[in-house]
Amino acid sequence: MNLKELNILLADDDDDDCLFFKEALKSSTLTTHLTVVSNGEYLMDLLNKTPQLPDVLFLDLNMPRKNGFECLSEIKLSDKLKQIPVIVFSTSFEQEVVNRLYQNGAHYFIRKPSEFSQFKKIIQQTLLLIIQQNTKQPIEKNFVITLQNN
Amino acid sequence: MANKKELDEFNNLNKKLTLQIEENKKLAAELIIARKELAFQKEEKGKRAAELGIANIELAFQDDEKEKRAAELGIANIELAFQGDEKEKRAAELGIANTEKGKRAEELGIANKELAFQDEEKGKRAEELSIANIELIFQNEEKEKRAAELIVANKELAFQNELKEKRAAELGIANKELIFQNDEKEKRAAELGIANKELIFQNDEKEKRAAELGVANMELAFQNNEKEKRAAELGVANKELAFQNLEKEKRAAELGIANTELAFQNEEKEKRAAELIIANKELAFQNEEKEKRAAELIIANKELAFQNEEKEKRAAELSIANKELLAFTYISSHDMQEPLRKIQTFVSMILENENKNLSENGKYNFQRMQLAAARMQQLIDDLLAFSRINTTDHTFEKTELNLIVEEVKAELKETILEKHATIISNELCLANIIPFQFRQLMYNLVSNALKFSNPAVSPQILIKSIIVKGSQLNNEKLSPEKNYCHIIVKDNGIGFEPHFSERIFGVFQKLHGKEVYGGTGIGLAIVKKIVENHKGIITATGELNKGATFDIYIPAN
Repeated sequence: MNLKELNILLADDDDDDCLFFKEALKSSTLTTHLTVVSNGEYLMDLLNKTPQLPDVLFLDLNMPRKNGFECLSEIKLSDKLKQIPVIVFSTSFEQEVVNRLYQNGAHYFIRKPSEFSQFKKIIQQTLLLIIQQNTKQPIEKNFVITLQNN
Repeated sequence: MANKKELDEFNNLNKKLTLQIEENKKLAAELIIARKELAFQKEEKGKRAAELGIANIELAFQDDEKEKRAAELGIANIELAFQGDEKEKRAAELGIANTEKGKRAEELGIANKELAFQDEEKGKRAEELSIANIELIFQNEEKEKRAAELIVANKELAFQNELKEKRAAELGIANKELIFQNDEKEKRAAELGIANKELIFQNDEKEKRAAELGVANMELAFQNNEKEKRAAELGVANKELAFQNLEKEKRAAELGIANTELAFQNEEKEKRAAELIIANKELAFQNEEKEKRAAELIIANKELAFQNEEKEKRAAELSIANKELLAFTYISSHDMQEPLRKIQTFVSMILENENKNLSENGKYNFQRMQLAAARMQQLIDDLLAFSRINTTDHTFEKTELNLIVEEVKAELKETILEKHATIISNELCLANIIPFQFRQLMYNLVSNALKFSNPAVSPQILIKSIIVKGSQLNNEKLSPEKNYCHIIVKDNGIGFEPHFSERIFGVFQKLHGKEVYGGTGIGLAIVKKIVENHKGIITATGELNKGATFDIYIPAN
């Protein structure tokens, strides 16, 4: 998978956050292709129709029409989709929410940092983890991604 | 000589006449005595008749009194009978009124039987009285007959008296005649000789007359005898009357006693009835009081129920309001995170990407903006932590406090090293706690102790815990019978003025400016909330520059 273009799907209704994400990917050393959907229904439609599944899904929890939890459950219940690594991307951090997400099959949890430099770093770090780990869910201890000092 | 013979004869005759005159004088004196005796007897008879009349009036009066008494007794009997009826009615009424009250009814039943028995007794007594009345009436009749007989006897006596008076008058006349005759004889004697023949004739006449007087005396003696017999009869009659009077008095006394007894029985019955009435009134009063009391209790109960309802409503409202407030705190602080984070991200983007385009002043202002945003983020995080204390699960677990302290020490390792602090925690016990919350509590207390350490000395923090009985803790909020886990966190830091010991637990309460000591003033509010979640209490004692001590008491079981 190394040299291959990384196919990223972002589900987030917030334009600012989409902007930050795009900016962060621009500075990444990895070759990526980003698709953005602005709510849960579009996400599920796209996933159910697309012939090529994304390599990784960045999923926001607070979305209109169908929220991140519902999407995660549907994805993990579908034989076709359950292989997709799902990274939950959220502003807040609630331990209970985090525990539930891991049990529902998400790969990683990222609390969106407020510093843009940190934002970029955490995206880069996560993408590398995905490339290394492939489709396997990590152990729970590593579920929440924290910034590592290089 | 012849003359001398005649003179002697005349002298002899004269002597005889003188003797006769003397005898006549004696006879006249006797007649006067007999007349006086008769007058005395007449007076005695008058007195006796007057006494009999008085006795008759008295008897008549006594009869009247007896009739009145009999009539009164008759009325009294009717009244008693009426009272008996009334009492029976009352008893019946009481019987009806008292049917509900078992014991009372039995007592009344007994009382009624007693009354019935007394009524029977009265009936008997009334019968006896009626027999006694009949007897009295019979006696009265007898007395009336006797009185009539006495009246007849009196009339006879009066008639005899009249006869005697006539006789006495005749005797008076005869006396006057004798006096006249004596005068005439004296004249005759003076005339001497004239009347000798006439004297012989007169002597004959006198002898006849003396015989007549003897007969009259015999008749008087017979009449006296008769009067004595009559007087004796009257004495017997009087004795009989006196005996009858005694009998009547005895009877009257017996009746008086019987009446007294009846009056006593009536009084007793009236007393009993009065007592029953009083007892009934008292029962009725007690019933009323009980009903009043019951009514008051019902009202009081209703009011209490109403108050309870109101309190429950209020409590429910408060709990809803509380939940809403917490939900509001949670949601608002949660949702504020996102725009704040974006501001921070944009600021950092500008500072990074547009660095060369910004003036130094512009850069400085953006940095100030970043600091302000960071502080706001801290506030939001603390508020979230505070509200989360109530929204998260409260699962109690028996936990070694030592483990909690070790985790906190590990978390604060860098600060501990940096400040050269010592934490002594070798006296810790098992406690029944919500581990997640207690970790936060211990973290806040230890990080506070490190933060407010005295720069002049190396910080020392003592953490220990012990199980004690509430009675040994001298705190009125603690139950003396329960066992408590007493946790002490003591430091040698800057402490605080004693009057702040309550205030420091308030939300956003700070004793120092944020330039001197950072933080939002929520840490101890969270600690207090966690202690309350453990049904415990926390107190703080401190002195400026002499350290602070926190005492936590939570139930051991």
